[in-house]
Amino acid sequence: MTSIPLEYYLILSAFMFSVGVTGVLIRRNAIVVFMCIELMLNSANLTLVAFSSFLGNPIGQVFVFFVMTVAAAEAAVGLAIIIAIFRNKLSVNIDEINIFKW
Amino acid sequence: MDLSFITESLYFVKPEIAASASIILLVLLDLIFHKNKTIIPYVALAGIIITGIFVVDQFNISGFAFLSTDNPKYGMIAVDNFGAFFKLIIIISSIFVVAFSAYSDEINKITDRLGEYYALIFGMILGMLVLISASDLILIYLSMELLSLSSYVLAGFTKLRDRSSEASLKYLLYGATSTGMMLFGISILYGLTGSTNLYIISAALQTQSLNLLTLAFSIILIFAGIGYKISSAPFHFWTPDVYEGAPISITAYLSVASKAAGFALLIRFIKTTFVTFVDDNGNWQLLQVFDWESLLIIISLLTMTLGNFTALWQRNLKRMLAYSSIAHAGYLMLGLLVFSNQGLIAILIYFTIYLFMNLGAFFIVMVIANKTGSEDIDDYDGLGFKSSFLGVSLAIFLVSLTGLPPTAGFIGKLYLFIALVDAKMLTVAIIALLNTVVSLYYYIRVLKHMFLTSPTEKTEKIPLNFGQIAVIIIMLIPILLFGVYFSPVVDLAKSYITILGF
Amino acid sequence: MIDYIYLTVLLPLLGFLINGLLGPKIKNEKLIGIIGSSTVGISFLVVLFALIQTVGLPADQRTNVVELFTWLNVAGLNIKFAYLVDPLSLTMAMVVTGVGFLIHVYSIGYMHGDKAFWKFFAYLNLFIFAMMNLILGDNFVVLFLGWEGVGLCSYLLIGFWYEKNFEKGTVPQAAKKAFIVNRIGDFGFLLGMFLIYSTFDSLNFLDVFSKAEYFPVSEATFGLIAIFLFIGAKGKSAQIPLFVWLPDAMAGPTPVSALIHAATMVTAGVYMVARASIIFASAPAVMTVVAVIGMLTAFFAATIGLVQNDIKKVLAYSTVSQLGYMFLALGVGAFSAGIFHVMTHAFFKALLFLGAGSIIHSMHEEQNIQKYGNLKKYMPKTFITFVIAAFAISGFPGLSGFFSKDEILWYSYANGNLFFWIVGAITAVLTAFYMFRLVTLTFFGKERFNKSEKHPHESPAVMTIPLMILAFLAVVGGYIGIPEIFSGEHGNVFHNWLMPVFAAADRKMAVYGTHTHLEEIVLMVISVAAALGAIYAAYIIYTKRIEVANKTASKLKGLYTTLFNKYYVDEAYEFAVIKPIQKGSEKLLWKFFDVKIVDGIVNGAASLVDVVSSVIRKMQTGVAQFYLIIMSLGIALVLFWIILSL
Repeated sequence: MTSIPLEYYLILSAFMFSVGVTGVLIRRNAIVVFMCIELMLNSANLTLVAFSSFLGNPIGQVFVFFVMTVAAAEAAVGLAIIIAIFRNKLSVNIDEINIFKW
Repeated sequence: MDLSFITESLYFVKPEIAASASIILLVLLDLIFHKNKTIIPYVALAGIIITGIFVVDQFNISGFAFLSTDNPKYGMIAVDNFGAFFKLIIIISSIFVVAFSAYSDEINKITDRLGEYYALIFGMILGMLVLISASDLILIYLSMELLSLSSYVLAGFTKLRDRSSEASLKYLLYGATSTGMMLFGISILYGLTGSTNLYIISAALQTQSLNLLTLAFSIILIFAGIGYKISSAPFHFWTPDVYEGAPISITAYLSVASKAAGFALLIRFIKTTFVTFVDDNGNWQLLQVFDWESLLIIISLLTMTLGNFTALWQRNLKRMLAYSSIAHAGYLMLGLLVFSNQGLIAILIYFTIYLFMNLGAFFIVMVIANKTGSEDIDDYDGLGFKSSFLGVSLAIFLVSLTGLPPTAGFIGKLYLFIALVDAKMLTVAIIALLNTVVSLYYYIRVLKHMFLTSPTEKTEKIPLNFGQIAVIIIMLIPILLFGVYFSPVVDLAKSYITILGF
Repeated sequence: MIDYIYLTVLLPLLGFLINGLLGPKIKNEKLIGIIGSSTVGISFLVVLFALIQTVGLPADQRTNVVELFTWLNVAGLNIKFAYLVDPLSLTMAMVVTGVGFLIHVYSIGYMHGDKAFWKFFAYLNLFIFAMMNLILGDNFVVLFLGWEGVGLCSYLLIGFWYEKNFEKGTVPQAAKKAFIVNRIGDFGFLLGMFLIYSTFDSLNFLDVFSKAEYFPVSEATFGLIAIFLFIGAKGKSAQIPLFVWLPDAMAGPTPVSALIHAATMVTAGVYMVARASIIFASAPAVMTVVAVIGMLTAFFAATIGLVQNDIKKVLAYSTVSQLGYMFLALGVGAFSAGIFHVMTHAFFKALLFLGAGSIIHSMHEEQNIQKYGNLKKYMPKTFITFVIAAFAISGFPGLSGFFSKDEILWYSYANGNLFFWIVGAITAVLTAFYMFRLVTLTFFGKERFNKSEKHPHESPAVMTIPLMILAFLAVVGGYIGIPEIFSGEHGNVFHNWLMPVFAAADRKMAVYGTHTHLEEIVLMVISVAAALGAIYAAYIIYTKRIEVANKTASKLKGLYTTLFNKYYVDEAYEFAVIKPIQKGSEKLLWKFFDVKIVDGIVNGAASLVDVVSSVIRKMQTGVAQFYLIIMSLGIALVLFWIILSL
């Protein structure tokens, strides 16, 4: 059985990254934007793991564990902040959060 | 398995250990004293001072901690004089921020969450300390996230005001996206070179021939993460909004400490990864894999121009200072883009001075906002007559930020420009000089409001207590002293530019 | 104490900070006065101990440098903040702190009740701070720093009563005049400094002067440097043609006139030339220029002084005239004689001004001597001290002025020529005459003021005691410099003391001609006798034969009005310099160049900045996603650029 070539992983992760960035840029709901950020992080994870197995060195896999931890912490903080915003504005629509400008 | 290398490494991370212990202690104290939390700021101050003592203890010590398994010559943490200098800047600004918080009405209103507040500040301190000496991409990412997560929460600490929570959310969105991009860049760089250690990456860049375009892509993504931390264009847009919405003590902290850590990271990243050797004249020889010089010139000029030009229109002093701090990031990059020891010396000098003048300006804005509840420039009308000490002190800080003699700000700019002229970058120097002229306008406008407009009935005398006067004077002394007697700062900077590896 | 010389600079600065920052809070005049005076008083003691210590050293070790810190070290230019303690700077420092201290004390009484009492003392202390930097600095940069500092203080203090009118204009106009005229001089000084740096590659005194002695530098270069430095000295020390600001500087409070515009600051030019003696000595042509300018200034100012009626104006012109003497001395190479006259002049001229202040004070701000008369009855202490000073400045044998002025006259003949001596001697006669015209009109004769309106009275002790101390100094101050004909070979203590400083310059200059003591005695007797005659004549004319003065004035009406109007110098400057500049600047520079071109460019640039910034700030839309889009665009742009450049 032949293994899946490295390129396939990289193309997938590049695709995921693009989807994530596009989502961050165009979705209006803060929670969805947040999910897209998670997508970006996961695409990086996929690249790390793929390279790790390709290079045969464990650093990438170790890194992924750290990234997952950080992503969890970030999600916690992010959701807390979104709740705080929701309590003040009764909306999590990013377009409406613009007191500060110019 | 021999674990002695871990215990040996602990010797190099004493400041970080002290900071971590302080976080735990503060969280515990927060639980124990859940009624009366007056003790907590003192514990925090003690924690910072102990951390500071360990930092001072690190002066003139160099070595790697947590050695790499691939190549035990290098490690994850590089302890050197350069790092110690920036750590000291972090410690000093942390001490000031504790003092700021003690006098900040915004913070003092929230007595029940004081423990969290200081624990989060220590989170930032720990993040910055590690960030400054991290020489491994994993550690860089982790410490950056630690710093960012703590600061997101602190920016929105007065969460019941919608301004504060908005600042927090914008910061989070921007920060998470750019660190996400940075992580993707890191993953590609890892794939290209097979390591996350900066020194090993540097060796790989020198020996292997890599796809330069992919390399450039990963570097730019990593630079996006760092650029967001130092708020350089075009990654600076979060800065004004977050600075305006966050509590002033946190704004001041972000504008000095967090920026210092970001700069330390940028300098260390470039110096260890892309510089092959330093010649006798102190010029850095760059690897020909990425055109750092052009990139930094463009970004630096763009940063200061955007910062200064946008600051012209601001009527809110906090926001104006935010733009001014963006412009200052641009000036600071001037010291890096000459790629020489002289430029690095100029950066260290500038940071030492910037620490005092920027914190001083923010502190006075805070003291005034405590009383008037506003940072609008119209509320500064005639302030120079009603509260002359505050007025004159703010004037000195602003003149120093402009970079006029006889204040220390002039010396900072002078050394930056000398470094530029020495590197024969006259065009850059001239554009930067024109920028300072533009900046003169908005700084001096504040003076005009304070001293040339007569007080309105709204203008009140701002009462000052002894502690506040002491804090202002402690920040004034270096600004005035280093303006005429600056050789100690220069000598200090000269002896703290060694970055491990050369 | 030499090592602690920086205290003499720091203490006045401290006084300035205390009075300047806390003055409005202190409110207590006595306390402010004591702070202000004591800082200068302690400085004086420090200088005194340093002097004693230096005297104790062998003559060749009396030059000490006290290094404080490296001030600037960029690209080959190394400027240290260091103080040079040698006989010359110590002498000047003694005068500045000593006389300065007395004037500070006097001011406590004189400025009593002024609404900005604290500000006055803060400025005075700032002045002493700057002046000490000027004197003690061991390089041209520190000297220049002090030089500009005293200029600033002079401006602030002339304009101290900024709400008042002064003559035809206002006080701020007088202050501005002083400032602007000084700028012209400073410009010359700066050019001189640049030339020195480009010639000798250093700005350090000891460095430059030792190089100046041995370096192969052409006489033309020396001449150019010297002439630029001399232009600087002219501005500060009010020499032709830059003397016009000093009479107007009398708009300031009288203690200021005494301290800054008589005793200390105006002698800075003399000090600077003496300090750079080796450079001047290497340019003999410029030396002659210095001597001639000094002589002319001395003479013309003295003639103007003959007919002035404002007591401070007379003294101001007398100061200009005496400064001319000092430059005459420098110009003929008698550097130590010049410095000696700086010292004695500080004593008696400060005394004259303070006495005048005491009179003005008791006469309710009346300054016209025609409206005084018989004041000796009302203010005996002021009278006695004032007369002593008048005798001293007239060169009455045995008083300080006699020794110093006579030395200058002698050298102007011995090193110069007979013409210098004749003009100098005539000036001495004129000096004696106008001083005693002033004394007689003020203190003798009948009261010419309305006794029901004005009640002259003696000033309080805080003012009269400084007068007495200065009077004592004006009497005995000359005995440290007794000329060699009285004291024997090498008997002139003052001369020997300054010898090491001027040794290089002396070596450089031509050897003096041989002159006998007999010549010296003859010349001395002639000048002294003429001066005494003038004193007597003035006394007789202005007490008994006032009609003689009036007749002479009406007979020589043209001359009289010319003198009274100060040779129309102000008007000539107005006509020849100021008006053309004004007209030219109005028509050409302002209405055309400024409005059309400069304003066009500046306003254009400013509105461009405005437009650009109003566009840029619109980028800050407040929507976080927009920021992220710009960030992504930025990244994309950089990538695109890299693809193109690869």
